[in-house]
Amino acid sequence: MLLPRSVSSERAPGVPEPEELWEAEMERLRGSGTPVRGLPYAMMDKRLIWQLREPAGVQTLRWQRWQRRRQTVERRLREAAQRLARGLGLWEGALYEIGGLFGTGIRSYFTFLRFLLLLNLLSLLLTASFVLLPLVWLRPPDPGPTLNLTLQCPGSRQSQPGVLRFHNQLWHVLTGRAFTNTYLFYGAYRVGPESSSVYSIRLAYLLSPLACLLLCFCGTLRRMVKGLPQKTLLGQGYQAPLSAKVFSSWDFCIRVQEAATIKKHEISNEFKVELEEGRRFQLMQQQTRAQTACHLLSYLRVNILIGLLVVGAISAIFWATKYSQDNKEESLFLLLQYLPPGVIALVNFLGPLLFTFLVQLENYPPNTEVNLTLIWCVVLKLASLGMFSVSLGQTILCIGRDKSSCESYGYNVCDYQCWENSVGEELYKLSIFNFLLTVAFAFLVTLPRRLLVDRFSGRFWAWLEREEFLVPKNVLDIVAGQTVTWMGLFYCPLLPLLNSVFLFLTFYIKKYTLLKNSRASSRPFRASSSTFFFQLVLLLGLLLAAVPLGYVVSSIHSSWNCGLFTNYSAPWQVVPELVALGLPPIGQRALHYLGSHAFSFPLLILLSLVLTVCISQTQANARAIHRLRKQLVWQVQEKWHLVEDLSRLLPEPGPSDSPGPKYPASQASRPQSFCPGFPCPGSPGPQAPRPGPFVVDAAGLRSPCPGQHGAPASARRFRFPSGAEL
Amino acid sequence: MGGSGSRLSKELLAEYQVRGTPGPRELACGPLLGSRVRELAAGRPRPPQRSANPRSGFAFQDLTFLTKQEILLAHRRFCELLPQEQRSVESSLRAQVPFEQILSLPELKANPFKERICRVFSTSPAKDSLSFEDFLDLLSVFSDTATPDIKSHYAFRIFDFDDDGTLNREDLSRLVNCLTGEGEDTRLSASEMKQLIDNILEESDIDRDGTINLSEFQHVISRSPDFASSFKIVL
Repeated sequence: MLLPRSVSSERAPGVPEPEELWEAEMERLRGSGTPVRGLPYAMMDKRLIWQLREPAGVQTLRWQRWQRRRQTVERRLREAAQRLARGLGLWEGALYEIGGLFGTGIRSYFTFLRFLLLLNLLSLLLTASFVLLPLVWLRPPDPGPTLNLTLQCPGSRQSQPGVLRFHNQLWHVLTGRAFTNTYLFYGAYRVGPESSSVYSIRLAYLLSPLACLLLCFCGTLRRMVKGLPQKTLLGQGYQAPLSAKVFSSWDFCIRVQEAATIKKHEISNEFKVELEEGRRFQLMQQQTRAQTACHLLSYLRVNILIGLLVVGAISAIFWATKYSQDNKEESLFLLLQYLPPGVIALVNFLGPLLFTFLVQLENYPPNTEVNLTLIWCVVLKLASLGMFSVSLGQTILCIGRDKSSCESYGYNVCDYQCWENSVGEELYKLSIFNFLLTVAFAFLVTLPRRLLVDRFSGRFWAWLEREEFLVPKNVLDIVAGQTVTWMGLFYCPLLPLLNSVFLFLTFYIKKYTLLKNSRASSRPFRASSSTFFFQLVLLLGLLLAAVPLGYVVSSIHSSWNCGLFTNYSAPWQVVPELVALGLPPIGQRALHYLGSHAFSFPLLILLSLVLTVCISQTQANARAIHRLRKQLVWQVQEKWHLVEDLSRLLPEPGPSDSPGPKYPASQASRPQSFCPGFPCPGSPGPQAPRPGPFVVDAAGLRSPCPGQHGAPASARRFRFPSGAEL
Repeated sequence: MGGSGSRLSKELLAEYQVRGTPGPRELACGPLLGSRVRELAAGRPRPPQRSANPRSGFAFQDLTFLTKQEILLAHRRFCELLPQEQRSVESSLRAQVPFEQILSLPELKANPFKERICRVFSTSPAKDSLSFEDFLDLLSVFSDTATPDIKSHYAFRIFDFDDDGTLNREDLSRLVNCLTGEGEDTRLSASEMKQLIDNILEESDIDRDGTINLSEFQHVISRSPDFASSFKIVL
C-alpha cells in the first residue's frame, strides 16, 4: 500500500519529503519491468501505476494471454497426474491420517505392513501363474495308485497318548485337516513322469519358492538401501532449514476442520522431533571424552545384558524341548508335550517387555531405543522359530536323533505318511495362531483396558492408562508371520494368500486400535532410520526361512506316496533330469560349467573387483563433498569481505540518534522507503540518497525501514561460518 | 462467457478500463493516498486526453493473476455474501463485506491465519471489511500462477502480527502457536518455543538485529521448494 504517514512540517534536515519519496517511488515503478499484476499493492494503486505506465492504453497482446493460460493448464495437468499417482497407492488416506496424528514413526509401521502385503501378493501371483494355472490348464493324468509299502513300524499305529482329537468342522479348518487334499498343501499336487516336451510342473513347483524368496530379497534390499541413514554422510547442516519449515509448513488449501487438526498435530510433532534432535546433538557435542566413553560403555553393557538374556531364553527352550522328547513315556506326557510351546510363548511374551524396560532405563534417543529393542526382540523370536523347526526336523526327519525309524526311507515313515503335509499343517497352524493372537490381544486386552481406564477414575486406573502403541512389538509380530509364511512356501504353496488376507485384516485392526484405544507415545521418533531396521529384520527372517528350505530341497527324501517328487532322492534331482532330457548337449555342458568351481572362482574375483570400484567411487565422492563444503565457506567469507570493503568506502554517517540497531552498510543504498514498514519491492533506486539520521515522529514515521546506515564496526558482528561447523 | 450465472459480462469487465483520464477527484487513488499526495497528483501535467475506447486499456485480467473464469467465479461467490439489495453489479463492485462474512467462506474457515489475511488485504480505513477488488487481490496473490515474490511478500505481511514491518520474537511466537494449535498435547512448551525461535533467528536473521525483515524472509523462503504450492487458495 502506498502510505505516506505524516506530513509534519517540522522535519529534521536530510529526511526526504513525502512527495520526493512519492516521486522517486513512482519513477521506479514506472520504469521497472515487473508486470503490474506482480506488484504488491492494492487494486486501486495498481490501476494508478498502470495508468502512469501506459497512458496510451496498450492492449495486452492476445497471444500473451493465451500463452499464460496454456502454461497454467499444463501445470495443473501435471499436478493432477502427480496427485493421481500418489492416490493410487492403497490406503493413502488412512496413512496420511495416521502420520498426521501420531507421527511418521508409527506411520512407518503401517507402510511396512503395506509393503509386506505387496510382497505376499507378488509371491502368490508368481506361484499361481507358474504352478497352479498350468496345472489346471494342462490337467496332467494322475500317476495311478500309490505303491503299497511294507512298513515295519515299532508297535501298532495307535493314536498317541494324550493327543485330543476333535471331530469338529471348525477344528479341522483351524488345524488344516479340512484342506489336506486341496492345492493348499503339497500332497495334492500330482503329475506324471517327466518328459521334455511338456511344461514341467515339477520344475515350476520346485523353483517358485526359490524365485519368491529371491524376489522378496531383492525388494527388501532395495527398500533397505533407500532408507540408509544419510545423516552421517552429509552432516547436520544439510537438512532443510527449520525456519523455512516454519514459514512454509501450513497448507492453505486445507478446508476441513479435521484435516486442519491433523495438520496441526503433524506440524507439532515435526517441531518437537526436530527440537529434541537438536538438543541431543548439542548435548553430544558438549560431552567430554570421558562422558563419551561412559556413554559407549553403557551402550555395550545394555547390549551384553540383553544378549545374555536371549542366550538364556534360547537354552531354556532347547532344554524344554529336549526334556519333553526324552521323557516321552512318562505319565505326565500330556503336560510335557505342551512344555516346549509353553516355554516359547512365555519367552516371547516376557522378552519384549523386559527388553523395552531395560532399554528405556538408559535414556537413548527415541530412534535408537526403537531400533535396539526391535533387533533383540526379533533375534529372540527368530531363535524360537529356529528351535521350532529344529524340533520338527527331529521328529519327522530324525535329525540329531537315533535314526532307526528313518533308515529305510529317509524320514519317519511310521508316524508320517506324507511328511510335507504334516510340516505344512504345522506352519499353517502357527500362522493362524499368530493372527488369532493379534485379534485376541486387540479385542480382549486393549479394548477392555481402554474402556476401564476411561470409565473409572481411581489412582490405579490413572496409572494404568491406555496402552501405548509399541512399534517394535507390532513389527515383530508381522515379521514373524512373514517368516513362517516363507518357511512354508514349499509345503503349503498358497500360504502367501492366507498371509495376505491376515495382513489386510491386521491393517484395519491395528488402525482401529491405534486411533481409538491407544495413546500417543510421549517420545515420537522419526521414520527415516526405522525403514532401514525394519527391512534388516525382515532380511534376517528371510535368511532363517531360506536355510531349512535349501537343506530340504537338496538333501531330504520326499514322501513316497504323496506329492510331486515321489521317485526322486531329493527334490533338486528334478533339475539334472530335466537338463539331461530337455537341453541339447551343448546346453548341458554350458550349464554344467556354470555350476562348477571353474566358473564360480572367476565370478567371485569379478564381483570383488566391482565392489572395489564402488568403494573407491564412494570415497572419491566423500572427498568431493568435503572440498565443496570448503569452497562454500570461502565464498561466504569473500562476500563478507566485500561487505567490509563497501562499508569502508561509503561515507560515515553523522551523529546518529537512531534508536534502531546498526545495519550492514551494504543496505545503506536502499532509499528511505516510501512505504515504511514494508520495504518496497524491487531493487534500490538509481540514486542513493544520503542516509540521514532517523527521527521517530510523534505522528508516526514508524520503525526505521531496515537498511539504514551502519558503521563499519557493525560488519564485525557478523559471523563467518567457520570451517569447523560445516 | 456471459452464462446465466455470471453477471460480469465482457462489457462490464471492459467498464474497468480507463475512460479517458480522470480528473483530480476521480483519480483512482482511492482513499489510500493522503490528501496532500492527491493534490500533488492533481498538479501534475496530465497525459493527453484520449477518447474512450473499450478495447484499449486494461481489465481485471491484467491487474491480477486470475483468468477470466476465475474472476467471474469470484464475483459470483462475493455476491453470495452480500445482502440481496446489494447484489447488482454496480453496487457489488462498491460494496464492502464485513470480515465475519468473509471468514465464513469454506476456503478460509479452517485457516488459522484467516483474520490476518483479511486484515492485510483490506483497504477500508477501519480495516474491518473487504471490497470486491480486495477480494480479487486476495485470490490473485493466492492463485497458483502468482510469482513466488509476491507470495512471499504477502506471506511476510500476514505473519507480521503487529504490523511493524519486521518479524520479531512475539510475531514468531504467535506464528508457531497458530501452526501448532491450542491443544494441550500439540502446544510447544516455553522452553521448546524459545529454542525454536532461537533456531529460526539464527538461521534467518542475517544482520543479527533480532528481527527478520522482508528480504531475509524472502531469502529463507527461497530455500523451501514447496512454499509456492502450499501458499495457495483456490475457489
